[in-house]
Amino acid sequence: MKKVKALILRAAGINCDYETQAAFEVCSAVAERVHVNSLIENKNKIFEYDILAFPGGFSYGDDIASGKVLANEIKNKLGDKIKKFSLSGKPVIGICNGFQVLVKMGLLPDPKLFEQISTISYNDSDKFECRWVYLKTEKKAKNESNCIWTKNLPDVITLPVAHGEGKFIPVNFKLLEELNKNNQIVFRYSTKNGTIPEYPLAPNNSVEQIAGICNTKGNVFGLMPHPERYIFALQHPARESFDGEYGWGKIIFQNVVDFVK
Amino acid sequence: MKNKISCTNCKTIEILNLSDKELVNFSDKNVLSLSIDEMKSIQFYFKKLKRNPTDVEIETIAQTWSEHCKHKTLTGIIEYTEEKHFKKTKKIYNNLLKETVFKATMELNKKWCLSVFKDNAGIIEFDAKNGVAFKVETHNHPSALEPYGGSATGIGGVIRDILGVGLGAKPLANTDVFCFGNLDTKNFQVPEGMHHPKRIAKGVVAGVRDYGNRMGIPTVNGAVYFDDGYMANPLVYCGTMGIIPKNKIDKKVNSGDLILVVGGKTGRDGIHGATFSSIQLDQESDISAVQIGNPIVEKKVLDTMLKARDLNLYRSVTDCGAGGLSSAIGELGEKTGVIVYLDKVPLKYEGLAPWEIWISEAQERMVLAVPQKNKKRIVELFNKENVEAVFIGEFTKDKKLMLKYNNYVVANMDMSFLHYGIPKPKKFAVCKVKEEKIQKFIKMTSTDLSKIFKSALSDLNVCSKECIIRQYDHEVQGQTIVKPLQGADIEVSGPGDAAVIFPYIAISGTKKGIVLSNGLNPSYGKINTYKMAASAIEESLRNAVAVGADLEKMSLLDNFCWGNPNNPETLGSLVRAAIACYDMSKAFDVPFISGKDSLHNEYSIGGKKYSIPPVLLISAMGVIENVANTVTMSLKNDGNKIFVLGVTRNEIAGSVFAKIKNIKDGIVPTVYPKESKEIMKRIYKAISNGLIECCHDCSEGGLAVAISEMAFAGDKGVEVDIDAIKTKGKLGVTEILFSESNGRFIVEVIPENESKFIEIFKGCVFAEVGCVREDKYVIFESLKNKIKIKEKSRNLLKVWQNAINL
Amino acid sequence: MFEVDIFTKKGFKDSRGEHVLSDILDIGIKGLKKIDYSPFYIIDGSINKSEVKMIASELLSDKITERFKVVSGVEDKKYKNSIIEVLYKKCVTDTVSESLVKAIKDLGITKDVKVKTGHKYYLHGNVSRDILNKIAIKLLANTLIQEYKVK
Repeated sequence: MKKVKALILRAAGINCDYETQAAFEVCSAVAERVHVNSLIENKNKIFEYDILAFPGGFSYGDDIASGKVLANEIKNKLGDKIKKFSLSGKPVIGICNGFQVLVKMGLLPDPKLFEQISTISYNDSDKFECRWVYLKTEKKAKNESNCIWTKNLPDVITLPVAHGEGKFIPVNFKLLEELNKNNQIVFRYSTKNGTIPEYPLAPNNSVEQIAGICNTKGNVFGLMPHPERYIFALQHPARESFDGEYGWGKIIFQNVVDFVK
Repeated sequence: MKNKISCTNCKTIEILNLSDKELVNFSDKNVLSLSIDEMKSIQFYFKKLKRNPTDVEIETIAQTWSEHCKHKTLTGIIEYTEEKHFKKTKKIYNNLLKETVFKATMELNKKWCLSVFKDNAGIIEFDAKNGVAFKVETHNHPSALEPYGGSATGIGGVIRDILGVGLGAKPLANTDVFCFGNLDTKNFQVPEGMHHPKRIAKGVVAGVRDYGNRMGIPTVNGAVYFDDGYMANPLVYCGTMGIIPKNKIDKKVNSGDLILVVGGKTGRDGIHGATFSSIQLDQESDISAVQIGNPIVEKKVLDTMLKARDLNLYRSVTDCGAGGLSSAIGELGEKTGVIVYLDKVPLKYEGLAPWEIWISEAQERMVLAVPQKNKKRIVELFNKENVEAVFIGEFTKDKKLMLKYNNYVVANMDMSFLHYGIPKPKKFAVCKVKEEKIQKFIKMTSTDLSKIFKSALSDLNVCSKECIIRQYDHEVQGQTIVKPLQGADIEVSGPGDAAVIFPYIAISGTKKGIVLSNGLNPSYGKINTYKMAASAIEESLRNAVAVGADLEKMSLLDNFCWGNPNNPETLGSLVRAAIACYDMSKAFDVPFISGKDSLHNEYSIGGKKYSIPPVLLISAMGVIENVANTVTMSLKNDGNKIFVLGVTRNEIAGSVFAKIKNIKDGIVPTVYPKESKEIMKRIYKAISNGLIECCHDCSEGGLAVAISEMAFAGDKGVEVDIDAIKTKGKLGVTEILFSESNGRFIVEVIPENESKFIEIFKGCVFAEVGCVREDKYVIFESLKNKIKIKEKSRNLLKVWQNAINL
Repeated sequence: MFEVDIFTKKGFKDSRGEHVLSDILDIGIKGLKKIDYSPFYIIDGSINKSEVKMIASELLSDKITERFKVVSGVEDKKYKNSIIEVLYKKCVTDTVSESLVKAIKDLGITKDVKVKTGHKYYLHGNVSRDILNKIAIKLLANTLIQEYKVK
């Protein structure tokens, strides 16, 4: 069987690279942590991989705004390669700071356009929030989201969030409608029963409680919650699990490893 | 003459002909914090050399001999007099730490203690191949002046301690403990020139948050304590735990190795930080004592240094902490000697004098000893990840400290004088042990008890610290499996007793975990510092045992924060606490592995002196055999039985109840090591055998508080028969509910497991006191005294949760 | 030398401004209705206005929620509201400016630039100058490492 290879992009201040690597490895992929400098030195290296992951952290300290400096660096130095990778249909994920980077360089919501048309801004509480939340998957909507990362999930799952800037804002109402229409909204913060939550279950007061989005094709996925922190039951506050061993995050990573195979 | 002392940028200091008085004036004027005896030995040394010292040399000595670096009070001579029952006893300590804390460790002689009291942190065995290192530091003075920068550099500094232990450990978790003034302090009560406690608290929390979160190290355990005594002098403790391969623990420096400084550039930051930390704060405290941190630089250093470690590119390492390069290089080169070219040190800006470069406490710097042959490779490795790495000198053979600046010699001293030339100070300590009288019964109605009970839950020292904890990313790295806030689902929470890290990424395939907890009881210390220390030790162990730790695999760290040791009574209270450390360490068979002290926590204003209530923070770390055998504190299932383990005594003094009711008398909670050690060992057995569903330690606030925390964390109700609780001595309902006796746990047991559970605890004092209720009411009842308290679990959660908002 | 001021666009939440307002109420100061928070940057070097505009639009402001203003020299326009301006003192490490210098290079502007970062608070409401100074000292600036101006 083919070994699936994932590239975990590292940069100054990225700090969820090890657990993201571990998540892919649990799903029997080969995951390598690669520094952005060495990728810039050898730009075509990216095409040696099947999956590209932008892990969480505080790239360059989140100075100016979260993910901004890294987004600027990647767009200017690796932009065309990243775009090509995404448009080829290979899976790309941005988690937390990685999501902020994808949105700020414009790879989400539309990698073809590759322009920033939405943003992720300060939480309404003006505080960093580290807590577990309920996420409603878009199963119940008329058309299931075509995100390849989130197949086989139930209506509501739990994952932890940890961010100070997680409020997703699209540039205008039209874009929001399109995201809805194209089933690009993958996760929304919710209550246990899937209804609209209030703070703190809505940790940042995101527009329409959006927690994660994908491109129309469903291969590029960005989300604020951390699936890599819920691979095992032990990582859940009450040690819940769907099968006695694993957590919801495992399914997300397994989905794309299986997809590539 | 090549090696003659001279330089245009450095001054020669005339001290050879100064009188005693002039020597003292000189030290004061230049913020050197050197005593008259110390100044005289310096004078004597340079008389022998037949020359005056340079400013670089004087500053180097002041740094090396500072309280912060040398701990001269606690390692000096202390004549201690204790007065108890009108009888005086005297004892001379030649080195208090060695004869108490450290002595216990030596006597216990645990094989699994891999490195104790010698490196930057203590290290114990994790498994056959790895050790775990733990260190807790204080960063009080800078945090009083600049709460944000102060606490940020505090956490940054202790992380570097872990990076600099052995050949470098990988940090896995941070802890933090703060003592602040009361948040509701009126503005006019805040001393001139000081910040309001709320601003200090917010700034300190933000500093730890921004630094810790950016480093990607979860902050998993801590405590916050509020008392007016810390208004002008807050305490900020930061700790870091890390994992290190056993074969990377030993370090040594060879003559001929090169000195490499990596990380941040050097500026005027934190000049005189080390000496400054032993000076009382005043309104004109110096700007340069404050450092500004940059966590991203430190993160880059961490990432790259561990790579270099695994490639065996360097032979030794230490962090630049207090005293900057002078301490770091002075320490590394103590046995060899060094030559350093100060002009090669990368600077943030021009204009620094050589002595400033040498003692600056600019952050995020590490010093490495690199064999000549790795010269090129190591620099390339660092540069590849944009980390500045520059060679600034070499370890020599002549056992001298030689510093050059632009080819001029600016310092040339014997290492032996620098490290051993300090005269041993002698200090006097006295302690009058206060007689504690038992508190008379306090009779209260059910309504009054209910009210007090809720005040206790919302007391600043009991209530939820959620608004702080949630600002820390306590789950980054994905290994925090027993979390600081625990609950049945994600909408309710209670206070976890200890945190457990499961390093499944760092150590692939492991089942083991690392438990971190702490104990801290300053209110007991206002009456009796021996009991404060003993209680803190017991509490830290209790907390760890409550989540499933094995007492036999536990280790301790001590952190003393005290007032001015030149005051015999202040020092006396510290000696008693140190004696308690020895006694308890021996009694519980748990060694200390590292420690730190911060003295001179005093603040003078308008001629009046404020001294802090003394604090001994005990941090505990242990290895857990199997992380699957850990429990949390939230009640699990309706109908399960509730047991209280341990004896409740009439020990109200220093309690939260005493604070609310303003009671001054009573007995401070005592530690009965034999009783509690037995219980702790059996709890471990019961948890390992899966007989305990949840477990919580009973501490601040007493039984009523602890049991309700378990209930609301589990979103359950509970009923407790007060009359069933096992007591000793005279106690009424009030005392049973609010006494803070040590050595107690509350556990939940499934009815089917009851007989096995009881079998394990045979011979201990314990009792079944109630059960988990499905109706979500918390009920405490005494039929004998016709008392009944009944509250909704969710209401109590709100009372506990909403007391602070930072 | 150029100054770039960043403002929250109408219709978007200024969390920082709201937070500061609640802190001010917390220390017992009344009379303020609203605070607008605005970060600002002073950029110096052999750089022209259109380059600064590019830096402002690509790096310093958020395309969705913020707008910017570039002024040659230092902004000294009179506002009807009071402004408290906070900057780091010389010699105090400004970490944001270090990242920014790197980001400007990544943008393709290779000229050497120096950047200082600062914060402005526009205070709406009636308070005396004494009170403004008090707000600055008690909440917005730590005079040990920062200097402030009340305008």
